[in-house]
Amino acid sequence: MTAAARRPRVGRQAVAGWLFVTPFTVLLVLFLLLPMLYAAKLSLYRSTLVEGEVFAWLDNYRQALGDPEFRSGVRRVVLFGLVQTPVMIGIALVAALLIDEATSRFSRVFRLAAFVPYAVPVVIGTLMWGFLYSPNTGPLSSLTDVDFLSSGTVLYSLGNIVTWQWAGYNMIVLYAALQGVPREVYESARIDGAGAVQTALRIKTPMISAALVLVTIFTIIGTLQFFTEPLILQPLNPGAITNSYTPNVYAYHQAFSYQQYNYSAAISFLLGAVVFVGSYIFLFATRRKSALR
Amino acid sequence: MSVRHLSVERRQRRPGRPIRRAIVAVLAATALVAAGCGGGDESEEPGGPVKIKVWAWYPAFQGVVDHFNRTHTDVRIEWENAGAGQDQYTKLQTALKAGKGAPDVAMLEFQELPTFQLTKHLVDMGKYGANDIKGDYADWAWKQVSNGDQVYAIPVDAGPMAMLYRADIFEKYQLTVPKTWAEFKEQGQKLKAASPGSFITDFGANDGGFLTGLMWQAGARPFEYTAARSPDIGIRLDGDAARKTMAYWEDMVDSGLADTVAYGTTDFYSGLGSGKYATYLAAGWGPGYLASVARTTSGKWRAAPLPQWTAGESSQGDWGGSSFAVTDQSRYPEQATKVAMEIFGADKDAWRIGIDEAFLFPTATPILEWDYFVDKEYEFFGGQKVNEVFVPAYNGIGEFQWSPFNSYYFSQLTTNLNQAVEKKASWTGALDTAQRNITTYAAQQGFKVAS
Repeated sequence: MTAAARRPRVGRQAVAGWLFVTPFTVLLVLFLLLPMLYAAKLSLYRSTLVEGEVFAWLDNYRQALGDPEFRSGVRRVVLFGLVQTPVMIGIALVAALLIDEATSRFSRVFRLAAFVPYAVPVVIGTLMWGFLYSPNTGPLSSLTDVDFLSSGTVLYSLGNIVTWQWAGYNMIVLYAALQGVPREVYESARIDGAGAVQTALRIKTPMISAALVLVTIFTIIGTLQFFTEPLILQPLNPGAITNSYTPNVYAYHQAFSYQQYNYSAAISFLLGAVVFVGSYIFLFATRRKSALR
Repeated sequence: MSVRHLSVERRQRRPGRPIRRAIVAVLAATALVAAGCGGGDESEEPGGPVKIKVWAWYPAFQGVVDHFNRTHTDVRIEWENAGAGQDQYTKLQTALKAGKGAPDVAMLEFQELPTFQLTKHLVDMGKYGANDIKGDYADWAWKQVSNGDQVYAIPVDAGPMAMLYRADIFEKYQLTVPKTWAEFKEQGQKLKAASPGSFITDFGANDGGFLTGLMWQAGARPFEYTAARSPDIGIRLDGDAARKTMAYWEDMVDSGLADTVAYGTTDFYSGLGSGKYATYLAAGWGPGYLASVARTTSGKWRAAPLPQWTAGESSQGDWGGSSFAVTDQSRYPEQATKVAMEIFGADKDAWRIGIDEAFLFPTATPILEWDYFVDKEYEFFGGQKVNEVFVPAYNGIGEFQWSPFNSYYFSQLTTNLNQAVEKKASWTGALDTAQRNITTYAAQQGFKVAS
């Protein structure tokens, strides 16, 4: 066939390709891009109860950058992410290495059990933990003398919920990556005299670094957007979990409790910028290992 | 191998086919998406009753709706419970802002009316004859819902405050029913000494209505605002009466006499049920909720007037109380007004359900003066005629003005007092912070704040 004869075929294939992505594109535009554009427009206006809507340029952004409540929320989720991410990824990695090593029936049961919390909807899981933490009715407070919902402890309690919910999921991702490592590598390591621990640390972990980067980046994005858990636990102790506890909770309350839709849109975009920068820094720092290049 | 070969052959023979099929698939998918977005209006059958959508969260409301639908042929209520309090307001504000999805008639608490009225989403029911029933309501209640001849809501129930107490616990520890807040504290100390795990009451710093009710009783009037004088507003949350109230509760909490579990939580209800709390400072509608969450304690409760700041006085406060308003999204404002006026109105059959099953405290004078209501002996209160306590409380409520940004006010009040409960700020300092933030907010919103 000549090149000229082939060209219309390629064109047809391209058309078919475009047609296949159209349903996705339509949904993407309708439910993500258009709402985002609308929010971007909202964030440039300022609406007051008395005077109505006026164009305000970047006033909302300026106000948000100087807003101590927004800043303390950002500081809180960054701090939370710095502690939460390594702890949870560490737990997931250790669990994945263990079940990869053991092939008994126990490891299959454990694999399923560790994954179950991920199958529980976040709202249900958080409500359940709320009852467990509750000082009057919860079993935890009768075992210990700790108030899990006081302002000093509630962040740890939230971290516990997140770890419970996501460690199993991350473990499965890492475990799947471990399954992809050729078994011959382990064999040669064993012949070279490496024990189980050394194999795990020096062979397995580096070989799944791409998957590690992936779950870490998802965790970073997730923690910066921390929302559902604090919102569900808020009624239990609104003194500890304030309306500006995390930037997303703050944006929610600005929009739906105070009708500050414009300011809320600006906060959301600023949070988006923080997430973008945070993810980018991490990807840049780990660019040689990343699976997301 | 052979299968693959076949399919390749077919493709070569009819090259257009897959693309055509893809086009059909895409069009079908797009049509599905479009259909999902559309969600058209249901058409009314001609000649049938007008359907009026109502959002409300009264207990036992189904019976009231059924009664209305039985007795009206031209209008039919379609009731939905869209959540209690703030949950419903959030949905309603969003629907009103979006321009669709709001009900014809919505239950609104008194404190929310200026907020919704300011955003011009409430229909002036005065145009549809709402002023005809003005005489059925106490002056202060009608003032809460109207601005001159403009009527924005029809009052339903009120929340005069009283002290509900556990007769069995009072008897067990030989406590006397306190008449003043000083006596209330003394009884709290006595209870604490006898039973260290108990509290005289629980102080729910998360409920703006409760906090405001207590300050109201002490004489605080945080806002000077009416629709007529908007955008002028006076804000005085840090006045002496408010300070006195919060200093009292700071002392109660710090000395371990009052617990600080948030209201509306399982913890709070279990505390009421287990007898951990000897009293519950409640509103007129409080017994209804109490009866459903602490059913096992039925018969052990009694009601007494709210303790007073000065012995012998009768100052009262209000916590909540609600009304029906018509939204600007209603296509039938006249029929919607009729629903708002008549769903409870002064209808004795509707109120029998409201009183017996929902424990509502009526605002309509004919019901307030009705023997059935006044002399009713409540089983939950061991046969006590509790309205002998609540009716005088209602009569002493007096006038009160709410801000047109109540969500913000409640949120500031509760957030800052919760900080005080968490010992991150002093209690009167919490009032100062709230005062400062609310003033800034009001100015930002374009109000003229009088200093």
